[in-house]
Amino acid sequence: MSFRLNGVGLTHANGFAALKGITLLAEKGERIALIGPSGAGKTSLLSVLGTALEPTDGLAEVFEFDQNFWDTSAIKALRARIGTVHQSPPIPGRQRVVTAVLAGKLGQWPAWKSLASLVYPLDIPGARAALERVDLADKLFARCDELSGGQLQRVGIARVLYQQPELILADEPVSALDPALALATIRLLTADAEACGATLVASLHAVDLALGNFPRIVGVKAGRIAFDLPSERVTVPMLHELYASEGEQLPIQAHEPHFLSQAPANDAATRAKCC
Amino acid sequence: MLLNPANRDPAARGRLIGALATLVILWPLFQAAEVKPGALFDSGNLKVIGNFLAAFLPPETGAEFLGYLAKATLETLAIATAGMALAFLIAVPMAYLATGAGREKPTLNPITRSLLTILRGIPELVWALVFVRVFGLGPAAGVLALGLTYGGMLAKVYAEILESVDAAPARALRHSGASRLLAILYGLIPQASKELASYTVYRWECAIRASVVMGFVGAGGLGQLMDQAMKMLNGGEAATILLTFMGLVFSADGLSGWLRRALDTPPANHASPFGWRSIGLLVTLFASIVASFQLLDIGFGELFSAEAAHSIGEFIAGFFPPDLSAEWLAKVAKGIWETLAISVVGTLLAAIAGLLLALPKWRAPFSFILNSLRSVPELVWATITALAVGLGPFAGALALALHTAGVLGRLYAEALDNAPPTPGKALRLAGAPGGFAFLYGTLPGAAPQLIAYTLYRWEMNIRMAAILGFVGAGGLGQLLYFELSLFHHAQASTVIMAMLLLSIAVDQASAWLRQRMR
Ligand SMILES: Nc1ncnc2c1ncn2[C@@H]1O[C@H](COP(=O)(O)OP(=O)(O)O)[C@@H](O)[C@H]1O
Ligand SMILES: [Mg+2]
Repeated sequence: MSFRLNGVGLTHANGFAALKGITLLAEKGERIALIGPSGAGKTSLLSVLGTALEPTDGLAEVFEFDQNFWDTSAIKALRARIGTVHQSPPIPGRQRVVTAVLAGKLGQWPAWKSLASLVYPLDIPGARAALERVDLADKLFARCDELSGGQLQRVGIARVLYQQPELILADEPVSALDPALALATIRLLTADAEACGATLVASLHAVDLALGNFPRIVGVKAGRIAFDLPSERVTVPMLHELYASEGEQLPIQAHEPHFLSQAPANDAATRAKCC
Repeated sequence: MLLNPANRDPAARGRLIGALATLVILWPLFQAAEVKPGALFDSGNLKVIGNFLAAFLPPETGAEFLGYLAKATLETLAIATAGMALAFLIAVPMAYLATGAGREKPTLNPITRSLLTILRGIPELVWALVFVRVFGLGPAAGVLALGLTYGGMLAKVYAEILESVDAAPARALRHSGASRLLAILYGLIPQASKELASYTVYRWECAIRASVVMGFVGAGGLGQLMDQAMKMLNGGEAATILLTFMGLVFSADGLSGWLRRALDTPPANHASPFGWRSIGLLVTLFASIVASFQLLDIGFGELFSAEAAHSIGEFIAGFFPPDLSAEWLAKVAKGIWETLAISVVGTLLAAIAGLLLALPKWRAPFSFILNSLRSVPELVWATITALAVGLGPFAGALALALHTAGVLGRLYAEALDNAPPTPGKALRLAGAPGGFAFLYGTLPGAAPQLIAYTLYRWEMNIRMAAILGFVGAGGLGQLLYFELSLFHHAQASTVIMAMLLLSIAVDQASAWLRQRMR
């Protein structure tokens, strides 16, 4: 088991209930796409999984920890095993790419190593290997403010790959990228998660990206799970029902919708480099 | 792993060289500042400062003394207000002449620019010291000194603000035939007014602190009272005066913060640009300027009489030609080096202390300490540190460090609060301990701000370091104070020129460093 949510509810400080009775179980290595209209609760759900927010109801278990780990030192050990890809990469512009990638392991390194790496990056080969997987090895020593938005997003992914988490969470990881890059980035994420045997949960704005690249689709609407199905069993009427609040059009990435599943880019080389 | 050249950090060499160069420069500077932490714990010094501090309690509250104190406080406020009014009168035309804004070609006026540099480059206390010789003891010298230096600073910043806003509206106005003045008034001022007003208010706050210390050279106000109390080692009086400083600076802070926030509120929806509040403020402002001049009783008639002009002329003539003998120049060079050392050591110590006090985790209990450090002017700190470690440059560096730590700590805290929070938060969510999330996530985002603040402060501190010698803390100030007391004007003028050159050089160095560290 990777995580188990049982009747989880989340009520924000202002009294708004963003999640209600969420029950969701994921085995190790599953790849799950969260879809749903904006405001449905996708970010809230990922925050609960990432231990950024504590559920106000129900039981949340990640790996062998349940929510009682809150406020204990165990939470750091748990968090070191969860990697998060953010919508806009949370990396200071003045930092060098190598340092930004190495920061992924701060939760695992001893203090001396983290300190020394500020002066001289201690694991350059490791950072390079992670960057090679996102095709950015030549930017190893560049400063992050010299990169384009898409490159920076891939640095964020490289950091998560370097962290080698067992659970990867991604909150709309590609909504700031152009369609071609978005597709490539999603393929990269799914391929790497698969190669490492990590569980991947990604919220996506574009339905076609979700259906084309993820075996399991969870539709979220108004804080509840609307459906939880293998991607080939998700139908167009279901999607229209899910996005009813956002009008006739389904949010998609490509100009022509093609819901055919594509084989994820997953070559032997990626697998070999991993872990 | 390090043997493979591809896996070597290409920046490491540059960093190593940079670090070594920094050490090589800093080491002799620390030597020159005579840094000896041991002096802080020297039993003789401990006894002196201990006795002095013990005498702080109880603070003096005698009716007679409080009467003096009230008068001196009013005088300080009046010097600040009158000085700012004068500075404003000087700054507006100078800024108009100096700025490239609203010109067809953005040429800068080199004559006004250099005049401004001279006005700003010579610390206000030096002006005050000189004016005291011309006009005699009393607040007139303080007002004129503040007016000139702050006039120079305001003019420079006004000119820069006008240049930094969008030039297109003014250009369009000029193309349709408007004069330069009108183009600036209608095209640039509306965009820049908030920043101009905000900076003026901020400067007024600084003027209060500056006028406090004017008294140390005999220009009246609280500083004079403090000087007397310190000379007589009267701890009770010193304590009361210090508390008054703090009260004054805290209320000036509060008032200036309120005024600057008021600038943020959008204007009411009526034809006149002035609401009742602005009119009330303007009336109050005008009344307090008039009252200040009344209180200080400055006879401007006498100041600008033919007789005064003659004595000024004679006095200034005494400064020329400056003494450029090799022997004197060598002494001045030593003073320059010592002053530089005081400013660098003081700023560095302050940066370290300020950063520690500004760390988010520790800040809460320390914000009061930061404010107290900040509210006591450097010169006052120097009189106290001189007791603690003996006269000399180390006392000066410590005094600078104490005041600057308060200033920088507050600025750092603000910069850290404004730094993007997401990188640090993301690292904590990946299991990083709080300290490392700060070092890897938050600090790099705030670093440009922190560096800029520190370097700006260094520019101010070099001017301050130049005058700390007035109370015996070494450097150029000590030389100047001696020479002026002995009426050696030719020697004094060399020292003043050295101060000017040093502050210009430090401005350049700081600009270069800011550029490099971007
Ligand atoms: N910190 C918060 N305080 C109050 N309400 C919130 C907060 N964060 C999110 N919400 C509300 O919770 C609902 C779900 O938000 P979110 O999880 O961000 O949705 P999604 O990511 O699917 O767009 C929204 O209606 C949002 O307004
Ligand atoms: Mg969201």
